[in-house]
Amino acid sequence: MSDRSIVIIGLPESGKTTFLAALWHLVTEEDVEAMALRFHTLVRGNASHLNQIAARWRDARIQERTGIGGNRLVSMNLLDAADNPVRVTFPDVPGEAYRRMWEDRDCEPEIAEILNAGGVLLFVHSDTIELPSWLVDELVQAKKLGIPLPAGGEMQWHPRLAPTQVQLVDLLQTLRQPPLDIGPRRLVIMLSAWDKAEGERLAPVAFLDAKLPLLAQYLRQNMDGWTWRVCGLSAQGGEYDPAESNKNSVPEAEKLREMDRPSQRIRLVAESGESHDLTEPLAWLMR
Amino acid sequence: MAEVDQEVQAEVTCSNPACRVAQTGKCVEGLGLSECSHYGRRPDDTADAVPEEGEAPQVEGIQIAGADTLTPEDASQLLRAGSARVIAVIGPSDAGKTSLIASLYDLYQEGPVAGTEYARSRTLHAFERTCHDARAACRRGTPHSNRTPLGEVRYYHLDLGGGPAADGLALIIGDRAGEDYRNSTDDVSTVGGFQEVRRADSITVLVDGERLLDSGKRHNARSDTLLILRALVDGGAIDSGQRLALVLTKLDAVLATDSENRAESFFTSMLDKVRGSFGDNFSEITAFRVAASPKNEQAKRGTGVAELLSFWIQPRPPVVAVPLAAPEFERAYARLTVVEE
Repeated sequence: MSDRSIVIIGLPESGKTTFLAALWHLVTEEDVEAMALRFHTLVRGNASHLNQIAARWRDARIQERTGIGGNRLVSMNLLDAADNPVRVTFPDVPGEAYRRMWEDRDCEPEIAEILNAGGVLLFVHSDTIELPSWLVDELVQAKKLGIPLPAGGEMQWHPRLAPTQVQLVDLLQTLRQPPLDIGPRRLVIMLSAWDKAEGERLAPVAFLDAKLPLLAQYLRQNMDGWTWRVCGLSAQGGEYDPAESNKNSVPEAEKLREMDRPSQRIRLVAESGESHDLTEPLAWLMR
Repeated sequence: MAEVDQEVQAEVTCSNPACRVAQTGKCVEGLGLSECSHYGRRPDDTADAVPEEGEAPQVEGIQIAGADTLTPEDASQLLRAGSARVIAVIGPSDAGKTSLIASLYDLYQEGPVAGTEYARSRTLHAFERTCHDARAACRRGTPHSNRTPLGEVRYYHLDLGGGPAADGLALIIGDRAGEDYRNSTDDVSTVGGFQEVRRADSITVLVDGERLLDSGKRHNARSDTLLILRALVDGGAIDSGQRLALVLTKLDAVLATDSENRAESFFTSMLDKVRGSFGDNFSEITAFRVAASPKNEQAKRGTGVAELLSFWIQPRPPVVAVPLAAPEFERAYARLTVVEE
């Protein structure tokens, strides 16, 4: 059996754990045909965390935030298209660890080791992208509308105020600089919550260009040598119930639970078309 | 006492700098206000903040590459790495140096600039800090740029690609406090330390458009510009291959007044004077008008910056080699040459 590792990175709440949950459901359920990777065995696996998050996913309940200090390595024993066994290891690391790299310019030794993987899945929540906005534009708009600018104390600069695309570009640049550089790598940009972005009527690459133009330019110029592609991913399929059990449930979550095959909630939109197969980008990363 | 308490309460919002609960009434993390551990705390309260549930203390980490301005040594390393252009942005304090640098970077946030694309930067924190006071997140009443602090020159870095930047070009922009350039007119020996000027492919001298609107200040603005250029030339920082951009800044302020034409003709006369006095010291002198961070709607944000970038990207003109005339000797023996076997 060959051992492969793929690192899943992204800012907090970008959909990393939800992806792992949906992926584990998909490979263990085996109800989607012609998948790029298939389930092999539970032997030598550590399925406890995966089972836990997949159960919440099936129950259409939002995943609890991955706690800081709760870095987990999860492994799946799969079979590739030629029936060769392959053990794929992913980290389930809180987004704060990656945010810390941007803000504090350092990284936990454990995370640095995890980041040695040759395949990178970068998650971007397509509905919570913080775009840069300029004071003069707000001033002009407020003047046109005849409304005062929102009051509030002056805010000191903090790296966290940087637009999403700047933080993501820095994360990728950092992976191609010492001490984290391991040479050119493969990269899949996963635009999560794609169902919420579809109103824009853009293909994933066009969405990247429109909503994250700095990241799109960085990838197009590609001085860091990434082999990359972009996918839109709807791993939840809609709104889920809140993580806390004492809160009211969401009507959409009930509809999702009523679906006979939860795997059909999953939608992966790539250049080649749309499918339920979350293993396809993983197989591409392992090429 | 109650009034004082109310005042304090009104100021307190959220210690999370990304949260705009004061304006929106909503927690940025989507929590109820009573549940959010940051709500009700000041932004600077983070030092004694109670860790969130499940939050562990930070483990000592491995240092990764910094993202602040570059030291002269770092800049030298970039110069050795490949094609690069060094740009010295010069001008008195408040002429708009920082705004210009911030504006160029901010234009890439929206797409390609002058046919070039963002490819990489080693100074993203520095750019972001510089842009902050023009962004909505700063919550100031008007756009603003902080003064460059006194001290050694700082370098900003942008790798560009595509269009005129072809397969890659590093743009290294030197930023030094305006006071340093102003002081060089009193003591020209300080010019020796202006390595960003000596290394520069293009020198960019800024003329504060707001000062040109004032009858008295405009004469001093012209005098400052000419004296700084004189100091750079006399101090030996300029060689004849460098290119000069004379840039009228704060175009929005100029366009917003009735004195627009007067300011424009004054700037044109300055350009003529600079060409007359320093035409032999530079390979090219070109004028630009920019509104890097406008404070009104008279000019679009970043007006003129793409044109200036196109100027910066162009290489220095090649040094024309003067053919050496063969010396003529009177004695036949002296005309003998070595024959290579």
